[in-house]
Amino acid sequence: MEVVSSLALGFSVALQPDVLLYALIGCLVGTLVGMLPGIGPLAGISILLPLTFGLDPTKALIMLAGIYYGSQYGGSTTSILLRIPGEAASVMTCIDGNAMAKKGRGGAALCIAAVGSFVAGTFGVIMLTLIAPPLATFALRFGPPEYTALLVLGLIFLAYMSTTSLVRTLLMAAVGLLFGTIGIDVVSGHFRFSFDIPELGDGIGIVPVAVGLFGLGEILSTPSRDVKNDVKAPKLRELLPTRDEWRKSAMPIARGSVLGFFIGIIPGSAHIISSFISYAIERRVSKHPEEFGKGAVAGVAGPESANNAASTGAFVPMLSLGIPTGPVIAVLMAALLIHGIPPGPSLVNEQPKLFWGFVASMYVGNLMLLLLNLPLVGVFVSILRIPYAYLYPMIIMFCIIGVYEVNNSVVDVWIMLIFGVIGYLLKKFRFDPAPLVLGLVIAPIFELSLRQSLIMSGGSFTIFYQRPIALVLLLISALLLALAAWGAFAARRDWRAKMAEAEAGEQA
Amino acid sequence: MNLRADHVAGGVFIAFGLLVFILGWDLPFGRITAPGAGMLPKLLAGLLIALALAIMIAGPHGETLAEIPFDDATHAVLVVGIAALATWLYSRLGFLLTMPLLVFGLLAVVERRSLIAAAIFAIALTLFAYWLFAIVLHAPLERGTLWF
Repeated sequence: MEVVSSLALGFSVALQPDVLLYALIGCLVGTLVGMLPGIGPLAGISILLPLTFGLDPTKALIMLAGIYYGSQYGGSTTSILLRIPGEAASVMTCIDGNAMAKKGRGGAALCIAAVGSFVAGTFGVIMLTLIAPPLATFALRFGPPEYTALLVLGLIFLAYMSTTSLVRTLLMAAVGLLFGTIGIDVVSGHFRFSFDIPELGDGIGIVPVAVGLFGLGEILSTPSRDVKNDVKAPKLRELLPTRDEWRKSAMPIARGSVLGFFIGIIPGSAHIISSFISYAIERRVSKHPEEFGKGAVAGVAGPESANNAASTGAFVPMLSLGIPTGPVIAVLMAALLIHGIPPGPSLVNEQPKLFWGFVASMYVGNLMLLLLNLPLVGVFVSILRIPYAYLYPMIIMFCIIGVYEVNNSVVDVWIMLIFGVIGYLLKKFRFDPAPLVLGLVIAPIFELSLRQSLIMSGGSFTIFYQRPIALVLLLISALLLALAAWGAFAARRDWRAKMAEAEAGEQA
Repeated sequence: MNLRADHVAGGVFIAFGLLVFILGWDLPFGRITAPGAGMLPKLLAGLLIALALAIMIAGPHGETLAEIPFDDATHAVLVVGIAALATWLYSRLGFLLTMPLLVFGLLAVVERRSLIAAAIFAIALTLFAYWLFAIVLHAPLERGTLWF
């Protein structure tokens, strides 16, 4: 009953006209961000973060979250109609979605993707409603050793689930953690690696780094000659799937929703991973696996549902533990911190209007996206006709404005440029920049927790296995490392290698 | 001998780790009972060097440096150059002069569009951004030190 009354409080916030307006703006912008190549959800949220500075934290979070889950919807449009994944999670949708479009069933594929996303998103929010509050209550028992162990587990899980190798992911995380040590040491007051630049005293901001790596870096590696945008919008009457297509997509949507949500809770680029795993499962359980790659409805319904459920699931650790599971969530956390609200276990009790208003807005947002995306598909597609040569100068301009506005600092713009070049080079040398961003965000929490733990124990590492929760978390970390090492020694080509191959193939 | 991409990448990360040691030399490491400001950076730099070495060791089977496609490098260098120039000008000329120059530069120099089309688009986009940020959102845009 407590959940029901809390949700009622949430809906009283989420259904206010001005809050609805910001949710709508977030969903619309998110759909565009998901559709446009060269600007994914992370860069989109980072660039638009300054727009929320004048808002109260609830509206700001609702709008930014709308951009995030809106981008999952938007990504499917370009994947199906153009075979261009607007963002990485839509890579698998390209395969069968575009094959359906070539058969004249593009409208039906878009409809199934939108309905699947709606069902999965709504399932994810229901699970979030049920899981996040008790998990937050449990997390109140966490002290510095538990947080240290949890962050170690998060990084190792990220490395284990990564499509690149464990070593490369850990290396990127270590680089991110190192960048996270720049600035004043909160314990001793020493300036670290700040080179007498006052702006670096507070460390490197996540926004310039994220915009540089994911926004500018993508633009640098995408010359306009490589972007083709000859696209035809399906007519409204072509949007309705046949009875057989509905029947074939029902179970993939259900499986994708459950799978996606639970993968979403795990650290890593969950929404990307979930769509790959969902596709693999659907092909495995299908009576006609030979249809996959040639326009199988399940190949659209499963991955699209999974990536939407995963993007909702990723909010569970953020809201209940204060831990980011991926770079997008890290930017959303940064947004809350900018508004003076630390995410974590105390959020549910100390900010009930924000927490439950946000949860309720996700129910509303998912409905909005369903109602918007299908009738307005023609409008969205017409935006794709803007020549990329005119689009990317606009994106660069908004990157500079957005990054500058966070602290009114040109130093942040220089940092963005430097990380743009780093992002370009990392892509060339096949390093995934996501762990770098995650490392940057968790570095201060990790360092503080580790040092507090060592001070608490008088310098003894035994504190980590004398406390049951920390011990369990570290044992899971050790198990994952052992599994990864076994995989490397056995040289088995497992699902992650296949994912990496599929991703590389789609990007080529 | 063909230079491998992982050898180059590993070498760069090792150099970065060593640079952290050099720059953080003066930072106190502290003791385990009272860790100092330099402990985590130095431990991480050590880890970074170890991981970079692991990548280099696995390198001989990876792709060669020549196999990495750099056909977009001219585009990247031009975009970075123009964006860097705009960043340098931003605090001097302010928003209203720098942004049209940035967009015009990208369209005219990188994309080889007609000068008139580039100028019209650059001015229109800047005015739209000014309306959105300065008038609608009341966000403080850079005014520049030379004027206003």
